[in-house]
Amino acid sequence: MASLFKDPNKLSAYRDRRFSGTQEEYEATLQASTTVYVGNMSFYTTEEQAYEIFSRAGEIKKIIMGLDKNSKTPCGFCFILYYSREDAEDAVKYISGTMLDDRPIRVDFDWGFEEGRQWGRGRSGGQVRDEYRTDYDPGRGGYGKMVQKELEAQRELVDYGGGAFQPNAPPQFDRGDRKRGYGDSYRNDRDQRKRYRNDERSAQRATDSDSKRDANESEKNPRFREKGDSDEEDDDYDKRCRR
Amino acid sequence: MSTGWRTLLLRIGDRCPEYGGSADHKEHIETCYGVLSREYEHSKDAMFEFLLQCADQLPHKIPFFGVLIGLINLENEDFAKSIVDTTHANLQDALHNENRDRIRILLRFLCGLMCSKVVLPNSIIETFETLLSSAATILDEETGNPSWQPRADFYVYCILASLPWGGSELIEQVPDEFERVLVGIQSYISIRRHFDDIAFSVFETDEGNSPNKKDFIEDLWERIQLLSHNGWKVKSVPKPHLSFEAQLVAGISYRFSPISCPPPTISRSSSEIVKGQEKHEADLKYPQRLRRLHIFPTNKAENMQQIDRFVVEECILDVLLFFNGCRKECAFYLVSLPVPFRYEYLMAETIFSQLLLLPNPPFRPIYYTLVIIDLCKALPGAFPSVVVGAVHALFDRISNMDMECRTRLILWFSHHLSNFQFIWPWQEWAYVKGLPKWAPQRVFVQEVLEREVRLSYFDKIKQSIEDAAELEGLLPPKAGPNYRYHSDEGKEITDGHRLSKELVGMVRGKKTTRDIISWVEEQIIPANGAKFALDVISQTLLDIGSKSFTHLVTVLERYGQIISKLCPNEEMQLLLMDEVSAYWKNSTQMIAIAIDRMMGYRLISNLAIVKWVFSPANVDQFHVSDRPWEILRNAVSKTYNRICDLRKEIQTLKKGLQVAKEASEKATRELEEVKSVIEIVDGQPVPSERPGRLRRLQAYADKAKEEVVTTEESLEAKEALLSRGLEESKELLRLLFKSFVDVLTERLPSISADGEVPNLRAGDPNVNFAARDPEATTMEVDNENGADNDSQLNGANKKVGHNVGELEQWCLCTLGHLKSFSRQYATEIWSHIAMLDQEVFVGNIHPLIQKAAFSGLCRPTSEGSHL
Repeated sequence: MASLFKDPNKLSAYRDRRFSGTQEEYEATLQASTTVYVGNMSFYTTEEQAYEIFSRAGEIKKIIMGLDKNSKTPCGFCFILYYSREDAEDAVKYISGTMLDDRPIRVDFDWGFEEGRQWGRGRSGGQVRDEYRTDYDPGRGGYGKMVQKELEAQRELVDYGGGAFQPNAPPQFDRGDRKRGYGDSYRNDRDQRKRYRNDERSAQRATDSDSKRDANESEKNPRFREKGDSDEEDDDYDKRCRR
Repeated sequence: MSTGWRTLLLRIGDRCPEYGGSADHKEHIETCYGVLSREYEHSKDAMFEFLLQCADQLPHKIPFFGVLIGLINLENEDFAKSIVDTTHANLQDALHNENRDRIRILLRFLCGLMCSKVVLPNSIIETFETLLSSAATILDEETGNPSWQPRADFYVYCILASLPWGGSELIEQVPDEFERVLVGIQSYISIRRHFDDIAFSVFETDEGNSPNKKDFIEDLWERIQLLSHNGWKVKSVPKPHLSFEAQLVAGISYRFSPISCPPPTISRSSSEIVKGQEKHEADLKYPQRLRRLHIFPTNKAENMQQIDRFVVEECILDVLLFFNGCRKECAFYLVSLPVPFRYEYLMAETIFSQLLLLPNPPFRPIYYTLVIIDLCKALPGAFPSVVVGAVHALFDRISNMDMECRTRLILWFSHHLSNFQFIWPWQEWAYVKGLPKWAPQRVFVQEVLEREVRLSYFDKIKQSIEDAAELEGLLPPKAGPNYRYHSDEGKEITDGHRLSKELVGMVRGKKTTRDIISWVEEQIIPANGAKFALDVISQTLLDIGSKSFTHLVTVLERYGQIISKLCPNEEMQLLLMDEVSAYWKNSTQMIAIAIDRMMGYRLISNLAIVKWVFSPANVDQFHVSDRPWEILRNAVSKTYNRICDLRKEIQTLKKGLQVAKEASEKATRELEEVKSVIEIVDGQPVPSERPGRLRRLQAYADKAKEEVVTTEESLEAKEALLSRGLEESKELLRLLFKSFVDVLTERLPSISADGEVPNLRAGDPNVNFAARDPEATTMEVDNENGADNDSQLNGANKKVGHNVGELEQWCLCTLGHLKSFSRQYATEIWSHIAMLDQEVFVGNIHPLIQKAAFSGLCRPTSEGSHL
């Protein structure tokens, strides 16, 4: 309503390079769009959590989770499709900057979902921002991908086999410095979540040959059954779901 | 000075770096005027526009803008004259377009201009008198239409609301004329009907309204009378013009030309129903802006004059209105209103009263959630504790709170806590675990926890209440599916298991829906019956779609037809919903989502949902859980959302059709014109235009015609859908109200032999207290006196046990929801009221049912009832 401080025509500073039209067309599309992009989500946040918060701005038509293009697991963004423009506007106005899973999420108008846009565009499969981050963000897979690789290389020099390497675990010296809530208790907490979200049958079904893999998976997203986690058809099914 | 004049105008009156952090209003005006006059020649047109815009959107700074215009007027008379003329045109437009905020703010702006000697006081008096006489005409049975009293009240409200901003100048400069206006208002108040807004109060007692309660106009009038006794002194309105009086008197004052008000809307008929509809229409058009909620005891809230309270409330509401969508500015202006006293408690009360405003707040409740979050961050030392106090005070009165408001409070509170790490002193509420499961406090805590878990996850919320371990019993179960045909070693393999496994195989093998349907019809139904088939199919498909919302949507999109084939009638659809609630028995959210989506794909009708919600198993939950109500709310709102969408689409299509028709006519005309130019070649008449161009024009014309036809077709299709939707909504209302009446009639205690209506709250100590002393209806809206009793009552209420019996609580809760539905959908209900009167509200319907349904519609209950 207030036109004094905000140019109502300026909707987003971000310009998606995948959009094929001109800047004017891009802006016109944003003006009419009923889709919002949600960023800075935790990898652990589920569609149902997003549904609960975003349905408070209006009836939701669809949710499309952003997935890591290699692991096919959530990588921290999603698209919410509304039925009406007003609802999308309210989501941008009132939800952007508020917390979801203890993180301030970003909500912006989006020019519309197309097949392929659900995948992360980073070199390693996730979002580009997670390639270069240097901070430790437990909600988004620990350190950025580049830092992780570096740490891995260092680790291999020191470590002559033995313990299984966990790429996402922070190095020892960092422990004391981490902020409250980002410490061990937080991580344990996430592990507990895994135990309940991964329904029991997959755990029961795990044979001896599986158990080694299970141990390695303790760092993976607990709220998302992924490739090979339980049944073969799940992966196949995922692919079809996203289509 | 490098700051531009625009920024200076925006920031005037604020303690901000642009003005060197100074709070001296005189200095602000001098600085700003200095820059304005330097830039004047260069950008006077832009200044003109911008000043008007500022006055419009920053109305709490009108006195400053008024002085600036007054100062400009000393040098450039035309500028100020044009401001007055444009304001006149704007007010005229606003009156005819019924733009309420504009009318109210322009009247305040006029007062600001008058204070700075730009407008003659007499012409303001004239404007007031025109509005007053229009108001009086509306109330007249002969010339007007008393159903439209809300508009008349609004005019008078606008006059009264502008007086804190100009009353002292009016009384000084035109005392006799001003007195005349006040007498006119007094006489208007004496002839108007008292506005009984019992249906819209956040708290209800069994006494309903106390007779001495003032409505919003009476209340404001009292405040203004008090103000006039105090010599029109208002602390909350800045008076910057006083410092410039000596200069300003030299300016020319202009006459504000007479205005005209739109003629009263004449009544269409004298029937009771039409009058009710008209009154409803008028209430919608001129809703009450604020229903003041007294949350805090007077010893806690800021002590301020009644009129200052009103002015600050107005300012807060205006900031909320104009800065909706600008988070930073909204929070900034809310915390830095230019008043010389603190107002955090008042601000909290005002925002909560908006969040809980009935029938609807001006913005979505989630907006107020955001505002409260931002204020907690902007005033970290003061506001959070005020919010905590408000929550406790509201919680203590929750059993008297309107059902709709309870739902809004639950949604707000859970969302608010999710933004502050779910930290809350739960141990203070641990006692609710000991209350009966239907006690409103207990249900409130349980529903807040449910929503918290949805926004987060079970273990996190469990951890957040570890100081109040008793409350763990109120947590929802850990979510997760409950699959009946889960293949488990050691478990007996039944037919169901076998068939379910087979279906999974078919889905995995990408069998078509048709194949699966014939498999169901050949392999399951003949041997096991349709019900069993539905059981296996729905359980299995739900399990395949259980991983996420998207998985569910995909399964329903792909295999919905199988379900639809199995559920051709309501009976089977009811079974389907039983299956859904069995599969997702641990997740209310997933039940609600699944049913909602199934309604979306028309696998389940809205009527079936109503029937299911009113089936015995759910009816038993009415007073102990929000689950059935959530599902019912979704179904009804989805029905009306679709109708709204269709109406909008039809509107757009109609516009499109108009455009298409014009385009088609134009193209045809052009073609004909070109064709008519004939040449004679070889003795034959031949069109003189090149054949290429002709062909092209022909193609255009054909295409345009085609466009018209397709638009017409889709318009027809949408209109058919709309009429189907309207028919469905009529059926929905019929069934909804019938269902309410049936379950309530069965359970409500009957009227005693001497005709006394049962008191459902007889066991509630709160109400007995209130009933003994009508003055003590605390936290009632618009009851300043009530606040005085708050402190003692809050003390008395603290942690009392719950003494309302289960049946009584069930009745209160269900009646509350009935009231809430009829209030929410009043417009639709009014349009079908004749049908409802004939079929539902007939015979000896229980007076409490009628009261609940009618009060939601603001309709008087039938004569002879003792309500």
